[in-house]
Amino acid sequence: MAAITEKTSDRMTVRRVQIEGNRERYAWLFMRLSGVAMLVLAVGHMVIQHVLNSSTNLTLQFVAVQWSSWGWKAYDIFLLWMAIPHGIRGLFNILSDYVHNPGLKRTIGILLTLFVVATVIWATIAISLFDSAMIP
Amino acid sequence: MQATLRIRRFNPETDKKPWWGEYTLENVHRTDTVLDLLHRIKWEQDGTLTLRRSCAHGVCGSDAMRINGANALACKTLVSRLGVKGNEIKIQVEPILGLPVEKDLIVDMEPFFDHYRAVLPYFITDQPVPADGRERLQSQVDRERFDDTTKCILCAACTSSCPSFWADDRYIGPAAIVQAHRFVFDSRDEGMNERLDVLADTFGVWKCRTIFNCTNACPRDIQVTEAIAEVKQAITSGKV
Ligand code: SF4
Ligand code: FES
Repeated sequence: MAAITEKTSDRMTVRRVQIEGNRERYAWLFMRLSGVAMLVLAVGHMVIQHVLNSSTNLTLQFVAVQWSSWGWKAYDIFLLWMAIPHGIRGLFNILSDYVHNPGLKRTIGILLTLFVVATVIWATIAISLFDSAMIP
Repeated sequence: MQATLRIRRFNPETDKKPWWGEYTLENVHRTDTVLDLLHRIKWEQDGTLTLRRSCAHGVCGSDAMRINGANALACKTLVSRLGVKGNEIKIQVEPILGLPVEKDLIVDMEPFFDHYRAVLPYFITDQPVPADGRERLQSQVDRERFDDTTKCILCAACTSSCPSFWADDRYIGPAAIVQAHRFVFDSRDEGMNERLDVLADTFGVWKCRTIFNCTNACPRDIQVTEAIAEVKQAITSGKV
């Protein structure tokens, strides 16, 4: 009965595999990482804007005070970089479940990508150039 | 007690569309299985009712069906689990979804098995047979890693409960991933690159949206979603 009572090694065998990366895989990874980032960023955003401050006095002046610091500008820009691609990729995932025509799927993908790129660039410029001193 | 069964019927030779058949059975016991009731209907009332079953004991995986809206093996589902009201029970039975219905409760399993075959579900190695000509030993820790996924009986309850599979049947599906997991995480097997290549494809693991229907449906209590997550992680980290 030696084989049964014998104590075997406690170390788990770990082996390397080489799997070629594709878009799906990186998109999946991005969804996980941005999800974790937003757990902190988006919840923080919610707490600051709607719990610590009442959302009824969310005015331009309030935003001006916040965006007078580069730290908060960076916070919001980063949140945006995570949220917009995350949301649009999610939308694309749902659409690609039902759109089976490869050409149509590609077109939708390109349009959504253009939308993400344009929105992210535009919003980044808008927030960076925001000058609190201009707000009375 | 009295049982009323509503069964989704379809005979491709005579019916244009599927229809619901209603059957009433007396003297039903709480300990009867849904398969027992289907047998009684077939044997006592309507011999044309068509279903697939073999072992009747949850081993062969041939009688997965949609019972009261949830996938299960008819032979493992007791009447007492289906919400007996007073002295009455109502049960609805349909074929599993996402696969073409051939007749009544029988679906064409071929697309399902195509996905199964795609992951090379057999032992692959270049290592010679051990000197004593007996089994290839491995440590208990290594054996433990794929223990859960050895339990699969290929009933298709998981794959046919998956909304991603309903939407696009090119998705390889949870059952094929479970079967691949059983070999990918076996330290004695050397086919992991080929298998993970298939699973890393567009219609591989990335189509999984972590809905957990598969885990709920599995009659063998396999942690299907967890197995899929482990495969995703193996692909992203390059380590198995
Ligand atoms: S994983 Fe479970 S539900 Fe899926 S085919 Fe195997 S036994 Fe059936
Ligand atoms: S008849 Fe074999 S699993 Fe139900």
